[in-house]
Amino acid sequence: MAEGGSNSKKLRSGTATAVNTVGANPEYYVSNVQTNLRTLDESTANDAHINKFMEIDGAFLDGIGKGHLPGVLEADFKLFGRPALLYRKLTQQLVDQLAKHAGAEATAAAAAVPKRASVIDGKNGAGKSAELMKLASVAAASGHIVIYASSTVSWVNSSRPYAPANDSDLFVQHEVTMDLLRSVASLSKEALGKVPLGKSVVVGKKTLAADKTLADLVEFGIHTPSLAHDVLENLLAIASAQKQVPVLIALDSVNTLWCATSYTDQQDVVLPASRLRLVNAFLPFFEGKAAVASGWVVGATSYVEPRFMPKDLRLKLNPPPMVPLANADVASDPSIARPASEVPFEVIKVDRLSADEAQALMLFYHKTSVISTPVTNALVAKKWVFADGNPREIFKSVTTYF
Amino acid sequence: MLHLLGVNLPDQKVVSVALTYFYGIGPTTARKICSRLSFHKECKLSELTEGQLNQLSGVLSEMTIENDLKRQVSANVQHLRQIGTYVGKRHAMGLPVHGQNTRNNARTAKKLNGKLLRKYSTTSTTAFAMFQSPLSKHV
Repeated sequence: MAEGGSNSKKLRSGTATAVNTVGANPEYYVSNVQTNLRTLDESTANDAHINKFMEIDGAFLDGIGKGHLPGVLEADFKLFGRPALLYRKLTQQLVDQLAKHAGAEATAAAAAVPKRASVIDGKNGAGKSAELMKLASVAAASGHIVIYASSTVSWVNSSRPYAPANDSDLFVQHEVTMDLLRSVASLSKEALGKVPLGKSVVVGKKTLAADKTLADLVEFGIHTPSLAHDVLENLLAIASAQKQVPVLIALDSVNTLWCATSYTDQQDVVLPASRLRLVNAFLPFFEGKAAVASGWVVGATSYVEPRFMPKDLRLKLNPPPMVPLANADVASDPSIARPASEVPFEVIKVDRLSADEAQALMLFYHKTSVISTPVTNALVAKKWVFADGNPREIFKSVTTYF
Repeated sequence: MLHLLGVNLPDQKVVSVALTYFYGIGPTTARKICSRLSFHKECKLSELTEGQLNQLSGVLSEMTIENDLKRQVSANVQHLRQIGTYVGKRHAMGLPVHGQNTRNNARTAKKLNGKLLRKYSTTSTTAFAMFQSPLSKHV
């Protein structure tokens, strides 16, 4: 791929080409625009960069692994020629919350209120996965212990090996857990090394001394597939209890934690997600039964695969408008069923793009030759209104011919 | 290709699909076998370990498939013929067994029924030779 070189060009469709394009017809070949984008990290995650595109750190992407980026982001990054995302006002709010949770030295009042997990919810293509990825990137850069799963759909869609656990009615997924531990080790190498175990930890037949660190524990788990689950559970227990290094637990497609999986037990009965030991390790954090002492637990929903979005959860996240019952007798009647909308976590809604954000988006598309027409206020307004501020719809409308 | 219990199974196929290559195993039974052995839905035959293959062989050995099943079916049809049932006679004549019309169609029955009987001849069938299909070699 001739990208970044002086003769590198790409086709108007956005595809890079390895053809020598010196003297090529400019009608067909467009020079790669060298856009200088700042890398998103703790120093650049501030108000000054709102409505600007920023590049996700390459080391962070390597830590997640190629092919494991959420949703359509991988295709988008390939099209842009760089892993860039828009830094929105919502992103700044999330970064502020992250800092607040990380720096939350407990006041007595703050400690008294149990911390709830947060779930980012919104329509398809609103930017939930992108926001979570930006948050995880900032957390990793600022020295958090980051436990980030870019998609939990692979945990439940029966695409990875599973086996019944020996000592319980749960099912284990050693390979998936090992991948997660590898990702944690890669994203939070230094942070893990700062946290000692505090007590000797027995994992299988091996005992890790109290002076060993979380990095040693994770390394052990990576090299011992059969004990990966025990290592993950110990990691979550120790990391969530300590306050030295803040922790970010970020799960994309978090709705899968409550879905009916594609796995079956030995009697060919469909397994609920809670029967998977990997899911069971994270479920208490989202159900309010466990919390991190210093840090934040965030999830993002995904509506891409409706079979993994439980109906009752969808109703709770998007409750129908309910008219308050004026008649006191009717209101107090227990047989009147009203859909439950209480959830054990805080919901953060991803709203539509603002006009400025839409303009920044379209200008970036123009700079990266995704669109060739000049970006005027009228064009931005038209695309923004017709797409109802949905970034994915704006992208589709500028890239389809008809 | 993996050779299991006398059948060549394609390596690159998903296990639940490869198992249907056995006579007597369809998609439902294949899926139940995979559930019993905790094979995930996208597991390919080439990904199975030796232990898992042994487990699979063990489960398949318990089932009646391939030649055992063919023999059983053939024996069932023979039995019906021997005891002189209507169904047996229909098999012998190579006509439909389940009450279908024979004025038209019945092509499949004429082609397939009685095949199992033509393979095996016993003395008791010769008394009914006049009822046997014209294609029968036992007339």
